[in-house]
Formats: sequence, C-alpha cells, structure tokens
Amino acid sequence: MRLAYNFDWGVLWRAPYGVWLLQGIWLTIQLGLIAWIIALVLGVTIGTMRISPWPWVRRIGTAYVEVFRNIPFLVQLFFWYFAGPMIFGQAMMFKINAISGLNYYVAIIGLGLYTASRVAEHVRAGFASIARDQFQAALSTGLTEIQMYRFVIIPYALRIIIPPLTTEFLTIFKNSSVAMTIGVAETTFMSYKIDSETFHGLEATTGAMAVYLAIGLGVVKLMGMIESRFRIAGLVGRK
Amino acid sequence: MKKILVVTLTVLGMLAVLAAPLFADETMDRIEKTGKLRVGFREDSIPFAFIDPKVGKQVGFSVDMTYELAAKLSERFGKQIELEVFTVTTKTRIPLVANATIDVEMGSTTYTQAREEEVDFSLPFFFSETTFLVPKDSPIKTLKDLNGMRLGGARGTTNLKAMEDQAAKGLYKPKEIQVFEGHAQGFLALQTGKIDAYATDRSLLEGLRMKDAKPENWRTCDFAIAYEPYGYMMRECSSDFRDFLNNTILWSIKTGKFFELYDKWMGPKGPVPIPMSATYKAYLEMIVYPMEDNWWKKK
Repeated sequence: MRLAYNFDWGVLWRAPYGVWLLQGIWLTIQLGLIAWIIALVLGVTIGTMRISPWPWVRRIGTAYVEVFRNIPFLVQLFFWYFAGPMIFGQAMMFKINAISGLNYYVAIIGLGLYTASRVAEHVRAGFASIARDQFQAALSTGLTEIQMYRFVIIPYALRIIIPPLTTEFLTIFKNSSVAMTIGVAETTFMSYKIDSETFHGLEATTGAMAVYLAIGLGVVKLMGMIESRFRIAGLVGRK
Repeated sequence: MKKILVVTLTVLGMLAVLAAPLFADETMDRIEKTGKLRVGFREDSIPFAFIDPKVGKQVGFSVDMTYELAAKLSERFGKQIELEVFTVTTKTRIPLVANATIDVEMGSTTYTQAREEEVDFSLPFFFSETTFLVPKDSPIKTLKDLNGMRLGGARGTTNLKAMEDQAAKGLYKPKEIQVFEGHAQGFLALQTGKIDAYATDRSLLEGLRMKDAKPENWRTCDFAIAYEPYGYMMRECSSDFRDFLNNTILWSIKTGKFFELYDKWMGPKGPVPIPMSATYKAYLEMIVYPMEDNWWKKK
C-alpha cells in the first residue's frame, strides 16, 4: 500500500501556527541583529589587537580567535548555557539560573562571541591586504601612528572587508537556529513545533527555509547598499 | 483483511454455536486442547517484560502476571497449562496478536482507540503518568502550585504537549515552559536551578532521580497531569478468554498478589521504583467486583 502525503500549506498561516511562525521569525531577527552588534564591536577590537605593536595584546587577540573559532558553535552554546553559570560558584549559579529568559540572553551572547572571532579574522585579513607603503605614506605626511590608523588604515580596511562581512552577517542568522537546542523558540524551533503538532513537517520545514532565504536576501541587499554608499571610486568597493 | 477476519470469525462462531453447546471461545478451547498458552513478551520493556541477562529469559511484572494467568487456566482445565513464549517488539506485537500467532501479549502496551480497532484489550492494569520531578523541599504539592513556576519538558514528547495544552487552557499559569533536547539535559537544568519542575513519565523521572548522586534530594509529585493506560492485548472476539484474563487481574488485586508483584518490580527495592500514586491504588481497589472463591471453575 502506498501512503499518500497530503500537503497542507495552511499550517504555515492557520491559527495558532501562523502566529508561532511569526514569533519565531521575530526572535530570529532579534538574535541575529543583537548578536551582530556584539560580534562587530568585539570582532573589530580583537582584529585590531592582533596587528597591534604590543606582543601581549596580540597574544590575547590570537588566543581569543583560536578558542572561539575552533570549537563548534553548538558545543559553545551548550557550555555557556549549562556550564557557564557554574563558573561563578554555587550561590551565584542559582542566582543566574533564576533569570527568566536566560537561554535567550545566552544565545545572543554566545552567538556574538563566536561570530566575533570570525569577524576578527576578516579584520586582520583586511589590514594585511593593505600594502606596507600605505602605512609609510601615511606616516610621511606627518600623521601620528594613531591618526594613521584612525584616518587611513581602518577606513580602508573596513571597506575591503565588506564582502566577507556580508557572509558573516548571513551566517549569524543561520547559526541562530542552533539556539533551538537550548530552547529558544526561534524560526527552526517553531517549524519543529508545528511539525510535532500537525505532522506536516515538509510544509513547516519549507516555511522555515523560505524565512531564512528571505532574511538572507535582505541582508545581501542591505550590505550591497552599504558597500556602494561607502565606496571610494577607483580604489575600493563596487557600485 | 479485517473483513475476512470478521467473516471467518462469524462463520466459526456460527459453527461453534452449532457444534458446541458450551459457548466457549476458540482461544479457550485451543488452550484446553493443546495445554499451551501462547504468549508474546517484549525484551526491553523494563520492568514489565524484559530479558534478565542472568537467567537469559524474560522476566518482569507482566511476565509474573502471565504465570498467574497460566496457574488459573491450569485450575480451570484441571491440567498443567504450559507457556509458549514468543518475543514481540512494538512493531510486531499487534500483527502477531491479530493473526493469531499468539493468544495474548503481556507487556506494557498503551491502550489507544486506534489499537482497540485492531485487537482487544484487558482492563488497564497500569497508568503511565505524566508528572513532575522536583527538589525534595519544593513547594509544588498540587496542580495549583505550578502557577508562577518555571517548568521544563523534552521536545516532541506527549508530556510536553499535555503541559502546554493545559497551560494554554489556563489550568495553571507557569512562568515559562522550557524545552530541552532530552531528559538528561532537562534534569541538569533542574539540578542547576534553571527550572523548578521537569515533566515526563513517572517511571522515567524515577529513573532520572536514581541517576543523581543523592536520589533522596528529589521527589516526583503525587498528582499527574496526563495518563496513558496500559493493557494486555488479545484477539478480537475472544470474549471468554478476555473475561478470564480480566478476572485473573481482579483476583490478584483482591488477594493482594497484584500489590506483591508491583512491589517486586516497582517497589522501593525493585528494578524501577515507581511509587504507586493514591489515584492508581484507588482505581485498582474500585474495579474489583465481588468475586467467588472458585470463579475459575467451569460452571
């Protein structure tokens, strides 16, 4: 006997499933955007630390990057959620664990810390791609070392790394689905939930796919606009 | 298939009416004739029917209940009734009962409407309860105490769904319901104070509790938020046999044998300690109708 699968796309918008999916999408966007801000600020800082003239600062930067980018994100997230609070001792652990919505905060911070290591590598690569004579030319105009970074090197490097950063920005939304494993009810979580309630997993998964694709395309469009807005004609960036 | 079965049984039933004045059903007749009770046991349903590696055969609560049944059948027919054991799995148990390979499946099968359409069930003899594991000194004593609490459950389980449905209906208003990937994680969350109570089957919760270094620090709640009744399965239209099995269960409750077996397998020293809830105990006592001392004798 062949069992026919009856498609029912209504599970993507029918009450209460449609609301669940929208709630999931909203959480995915929150996770991705807030974590991205953390990743960007921390990543640029760490990346700059790695090319600083002081060896200890460089070492700290390198250690951060190697630890965070070499451990699978899923493992990191589990660690932060289950073992993280234990670092602060027994009494503090119970206080931290009593926080409502802890998994949401852990997911954002974890995602931010992880992505920061990847952003830092791109920033370092951006600096490395600037020819040495640029540095020397900047210094020879009478700028101090700090002014050289502030007005010449960093603006230049940030423009160069916009395309790889686009990829990281996309990845942060995709990685946010891992937050499901610590119970954050984002898009993938909701599509699983719809599946377990309705047994229409095909439609629910397709719905989640469409959501991630739409978010991704939106990010690509946005980053494309930023890239052309900040391009330096004839030097870096595309129209 | 079902139609053929129904027709066959109807024809057989008519023949039986014509041939035998005793109205005994086919299963009972065959057991009497062959002296054998063909029974299906699981190998992995602890503590109901599972392989004991020491003796290399199935043991458990339901297996012991089968010995009770065989003993009563022996008295009924005045000769020793032997067990012919078949190993069944969750996949094969219903087909094997329906196609008459085995007379009865004695295990831990959940009594559902869909299954009732395929086979017959005995009286429910056990209830898998969805309840909560909480710290020993937790204020959670009744359903109402769940208000404002942080509850946890595992993704995709019927327990989680029951909890979410009841919270949605407003039976209780938890602060939040957290979802975990598995029971081990859920228990870890409970141990580290991420949640106040963790929900799944009572038997599984007791298993989790025993895994803790100090099991006495935890307790399962007395109340339950959902039940899954377990019953023994036999062929449709074997009414006499079903009555006999039901009477065996009732008689064991009346004589206390049931509680003795429960204690052996699910008592504090049993393989899976599951405290008998007050509701379950009341159910057992209430289903027993007045029984005569020799109900198993043919009238």
